[in-house]
Amino acid sequence: MKNLKVLSIALVAVLGLFAFTTVADKLVSSKTHIKFFSTTPAEDIEANNYAAVSTIDKSTGKFVFSVPMQGFEFPKSLMQKHFNQKKFLHTSKYPKAKYVGDITNLSDINFDADGTYTANVKGEMTIRGVTKPVTEDATIKVSNGKVGLETKFFITLADYGIEFNRGKPSKNIADKVEVTAKAEYK
Amino acid sequence: MSKKKVIKKILLVVLVLVVIGGAYGAWMYFQPHRDVQDTETDYSLKASDIVQEYLTDNQAANEKYLAADGESKVLEIKGQVSEVSEDYEGNTVVLLKSDSAKAGVKAFFTQETSAEAKQAKVGSTITIKGVIRSGASYDEDLEMYENVIVEKSKVIKK
Repeated sequence: MKNLKVLSIALVAVLGLFAFTTVADKLVSSKTHIKFFSTTPAEDIEANNYAAVSTIDKSTGKFVFSVPMQGFEFPKSLMQKHFNQKKFLHTSKYPKAKYVGDITNLSDINFDADGTYTANVKGEMTIRGVTKPVTEDATIKVSNGKVGLETKFFITLADYGIEFNRGKPSKNIADKVEVTAKAEYK
Repeated sequence: MSKKKVIKKILLVVLVLVVIGGAYGAWMYFQPHRDVQDTETDYSLKASDIVQEYLTDNQAANEKYLAADGESKVLEIKGQVSEVSEDYEGNTVVLLKSDSAKAGVKAFFTQETSAEAKQAKVGSTITIKGVIRSGASYDEDLEMYENVIVEKSKVIKK
């Protein structure tokens, strides 16, 4: 009986330890900024989103970004409406875009020591229900124990079934859109 | 009518059409964003109710709340303040969520409405008005529940 008691205490202690490590290993950010930038001779278009959520698992290197698509704000109302529409991002059907990747050089990054690190991320982007591989470099900056991330890459709209063959959008929207993502983790 | 007069008339009609078309195009192009606070509220509900609706049937909730052109439903949401923070732009973010709930409603405030929202006390109950951007769900990659996102918010009752 006494043994059982000791055993159960030990079990609780071990479980508690496990619970603690999982929490500590996961960095969560809901302080994010994502920017779309498209440039053509006709027009520069920019849209901003501050409502995405991101996580980095320090022990496995898993890196995730989940983006509510209707949160993109354009300077002009008409552009925003076009962006949301069925032929473009179809946001009422696909309200979220997601990036799921792995940091492939995890050993180069020390999340607990101040410094600037380059993370190589390999993964998949899902936009409008279409999933494509995206490999990118991200800059991870650790200062005073706070982890920040910044990355910039291009996405080809046609890869995700977004194509304009004629009309204004075909000459005002670039084929490749620059995406900048920033996050501060806790 | 002489030929000249007919041509003159046609030209006049064409000119009027071009002006109307141009004005319409410009109006469309430069139309301002919808003022969410000036828009009539579509639904008034508790934070826990909309979260439950989303966790029960995500697709049905999306169909109910999200509009194809992005001008989705304007909601008044009442809930318990669980966290007050800032977004990347420095605007206030308030999470309305009861302690036992899996997910809540995250309200993003604007430059104009942030200062007031920042005063919200954790544990108190407030009502906010804003536009829904996305619903609540469990994300297996994030390994956590995502909150309902509401933007352009303003505190309407403390």
